[in-house]
Amino acid sequence: MRERIDLGPILREAVPTPYCHLVTRPTGATVRGRVEERIDQSPHPTTQLDFSQIGLIDFSCADEVVAKLLLRPPGERPRFVVLVNVSDSHLDAIEQVLETHQLTVMAVPAERATPCILGWRTPDLVTAFEAVNKLGAGDTGRLADLVGWTIERAADALQSLALRGLIQAASGTFRPLPTA
Amino acid sequence: MMHVVPVPTSLDDKSLDALAQGLGSWPPPERLLVDGHGTTWASPYGLASLLTLGQAIKELGRPKPQFNAPASDDARSYWARTGFFRHAVEYYDVVGKIPRRAGDATDVLLPLTPIRAAEDIHHVVGKVQESATRILTSELKLEAKATMGFAMALSEACQNVVEHAGTGGWVAVQTYFWKRRLGRKVVVIAVGDAGIGFRKSLDATEARKVGERWSDGAALESALLHGVSRFPDPGRGQGLAGIKRYLARWHGKISIRSGTARLSVGAEWDDDVPLAEHLPFFPGTQLQITIPAQEPSGR
Repeated sequence: MRERIDLGPILREAVPTPYCHLVTRPTGATVRGRVEERIDQSPHPTTQLDFSQIGLIDFSCADEVVAKLLLRPPGERPRFVVLVNVSDSHLDAIEQVLETHQLTVMAVPAERATPCILGWRTPDLVTAFEAVNKLGAGDTGRLADLVGWTIERAADALQSLALRGLIQAASGTFRPLPTA
Repeated sequence: MMHVVPVPTSLDDKSLDALAQGLGSWPPPERLLVDGHGTTWASPYGLASLLTLGQAIKELGRPKPQFNAPASDDARSYWARTGFFRHAVEYYDVVGKIPRRAGDATDVLLPLTPIRAAEDIHHVVGKVQESATRILTSELKLEAKATMGFAMALSEACQNVVEHAGTGGWVAVQTYFWKRRLGRKVVVIAVGDAGIGFRKSLDATEARKVGERWSDGAALESALLHGVSRFPDPGRGQGLAGIKRYLARWHGKISIRSGTARLSVGAEWDDDVPLAEHLPFFPGTQLQITIPAQEPSGR
């Protein structure tokens, strides 16, 4: 189960404009505030931010909406964020701000159904992320077998994915975040 | 007594220095007569700078300057199409014949538009994104994806005014044929504000670190080359970094003049000095982004 937040209506509520572009830092801060309220009220651990109605996002707004949302101090229960319907034009700004903060987020681009990682990443992180999303739920041994790694290397990669909020993990098992 | 400030025959980012020279001391002790009678051409940067000059004088509470409109019919007509006279009358006593009907111009993607708050930037970005895509792709040969980046660069350039200047500013976007300097068509974003400038904006956080070398030039270097912002938030300073990254990809140039210095980060076609210091003082900050038409071999 997941919470899906369509950014289009939130933007229209925040700024009286006929356009659908996420631009300027104050706009981003307002939109993030409303997104945070929805996340805090949601019973679901995973929130999908839907970019389908957003034309473009600039660097300042990407920093406010995406980076600062990921930088929020963890609450009492785990929270996961997935960006969905992200277009090529959104990617430049989001990638840049995430790399600046060394942050990572899971995204499902508009043209593909396959999830990917945006922002800071290592080859092991990407390999493990793709394997987990292919495998579904499992444990460290399954991942190690699939990608031909030692248990220790697989465990390290899974821990890194979990710390970055890219998978759900507990007691040596893992599951990918919901994309649908 | 009025102090006459001649406007260069051709007013652009380079010849603005001559206009600044004509100002003499700042703030001007006498009423100014800004004389554009002999001016035959001005870039969007030049026109935005004239508005910021008038705005700066108004904000200082000095007498409204007189402005002599160009004698050239072509210049007057073009300046009217850019919206210059419509805004100039707020800051100058304009003398000379002003065209009543400005008409449309396809090369003016965005006429001179005031930037006062974040809402203005939504309007500017939306309008340019709506109207400029076809021109940028068909005439400038930019990929569709690059037009999104163009709007992002425009947004960040405008935000610089709202967040750092401490007052309002102006933006204009235009395409024109850069015959002498490049031999190609270019699209230009010009942003000017009458605000505090980069040095004052960064004084509190950077002056002590830089020490004796602290100047308008050092402040521009801190902001444009090192991504320094006056805000302690680590996410700040990404706007100018994003613009530079975009321009590097499309062989563009950014040039910022603030106070007595101008810093340019240019492309291979540019012959500008990277940092020009000890220029005559001009109030506020003037920014220009230039993106040339893409050549098949240049990619």
